Amino acid sequence: MSEAGDHKDYSYVMDIFPQQNKDETKLWGFFENLKQGKLTTTKCKACGHIFWPPEAICPECLSEEIEYVEIPSRGKVYAFSVQVGALPPQFKAPLIHAVIDFDDGLRLLSSIVETDPKDIHVGDEVVLKILNIPPDSHGDRVLFFFKKEA
Amino acid sequence: MKRVAIVAGGVNKWGKRAATFRQLVQEAGKVCFDSNPNISNKDIQGFILATAYSERTAIQIHPASFMAQVLGVHPTKLYMRVENQCASGTTALRTAWWAIASGYVDMVMCVGAEKLLIPSHDEIFFNASSATDKEWEGCFGMNPPSLFAMVAQAHMRKYGTTEEQLGKVALKNHAHATKTPYAHHYERYQKHGKVSLETIMCSKVVSSPLKLFDCCTNTDGAAAIILASEEKAKELTDKPVYLVGTGQVCLNGSWGAAHKDWSEWPALKLAAKQAYEMAGVKPEDIDLAEIHDCFSISEIIETEEFGWCKKGEGGKFVENGLSDYGGQIVINPRGGLIACGHPFGATGLAQAYEIFLQLRDEAGERQVKDAKIALNHNLSGLGEHHVIIYKSGVD
Repeated sequence: MSEAGDHKDYSYVMDIFPQQNKDETKLWGFFENLKQGKLTTTKCKACGHIFWPPEAICPECLSEEIEYVEIPSRGKVYAFSVQVGALPPQFKAPLIHAVIDFDDGLRLLSSIVETDPKDIHVGDEVVLKILNIPPDSHGDRVLFFFKKEA
Repeated sequence: MKRVAIVAGGVNKWGKRAATFRQLVQEAGKVCFDSNPNISNKDIQGFILATAYSERTAIQIHPASFMAQVLGVHPTKLYMRVENQCASGTTALRTAWWAIASGYVDMVMCVGAEKLLIPSHDEIFFNASSATDKEWEGCFGMNPPSLFAMVAQAHMRKYGTTEEQLGKVALKNHAHATKTPYAHHYERYQKHGKVSLETIMCSKVVSSPLKLFDCCTNTDGAAAIILASEEKAKELTDKPVYLVGTGQVCLNGSWGAAHKDWSEWPALKLAAKQAYEMAGVKPEDIDLAEIHDCFSISEIIETEEFGWCKKGEGGKFVENGLSDYGGQIVINPRGGLIACGHPFGATGLAQAYEIFLQLRDEAGERQVKDAKIALNHNLSGLGEHHVIIYKSGVD
């Protein structure tokens, strides 16, 4: 009996991770900065608004004149959760998710790595840790994580 | 603007179903049509399908036309699919409401459906992460369980809310669902009796501090509602249930871009205010509420933001039985998302169907005595809230 369809392996065209390279995203500069060890976000040159997440057009005044500004490499944990169930593919338990606040008023969500889940508390200081994530067909990819310093 | 009422509704059996997405739609649609002999599928001019995951779990893009077809509905005024994640059902109702209120169309059917219990759980959790801000938040693998876990932590720290109070939301909602035959867990209650607080408290952690029983259940399910203009409604039923107030607010999509104190939900406070003002009612006028207990903590915070108790006292409210039968207001009489299950597109419509039954005094064992005014609520994120208030058409 012949097969009705051609059962090629399903290949990811896109996955859960962000597109990062110059021919995929206008925000490739964010990821270039990250590869050089700097966590940045976008600031609008027209209205001065600094925002997270970074965007190619200012979400306040819609100017396209944006520049990258550095986010402090140390932040404080507002809230966290150790996730062991309901994980998407490509992730392994335990994941420590956290809401992290910075002195400049910005807040972002990230994961805590290289830290024992028992050692993390609300109010803890955490420091930037940039790690590679699976590459896509356009090249290497990185993402911003945080860790608690020993 | 014309007044608009619910004239028919229905749900199918929810749970792990040996049925495809379109067959779930057919079942709920049939129950809905069968419930009112004055309405034929040939009378429906407008059709709105609410579903969140159909591209991925039914591999069906642009599902509205096919789902109208399988119900013998041939819309001549409007048809569409709406998607607002967990609030897709309430979004469908609001959209149908405006179309009828404007005078453009007399009668619109809303059907919501979701097929979630597919062989790959990975697929469902992948979708759940891609329903957050995928580029900046979902990419860490976080999804609603971990996000609402951090909300729970924030509320517990600020107000002293306890894990046991969270558990009491699940305890109440599972107890309510023992009288809801279509609920996902109904067979479990038949076989093993009520879910105990011990079972809830000893269930495994999904994302700390939330345990399995703090989380709503992924399920296969569908629900349907038919709305009509007041004139039409009076031809079709003696007991129409009117939509009298609504609010919808989206203050942010990304959680990192939201307000700073996650124990407060300003978008819900605003949506509730809009709905109360439009309906001309106060929090204490609501007899029963179908609100979005996607997680136990959600119901606690919603109880506060809707104004049924003081800010920070939502945990005590459920602990003291004030959201149960015989209390101040009955919250989630059918058992909510926690016990009925949460087929995203169907949920808001199933809530509206429960309200339709309750305000017509047709809810059987679940009936809230003398219920005249009710509300339903969905959320689709920390800053995204959707509310509708309903009034009985019988004086």
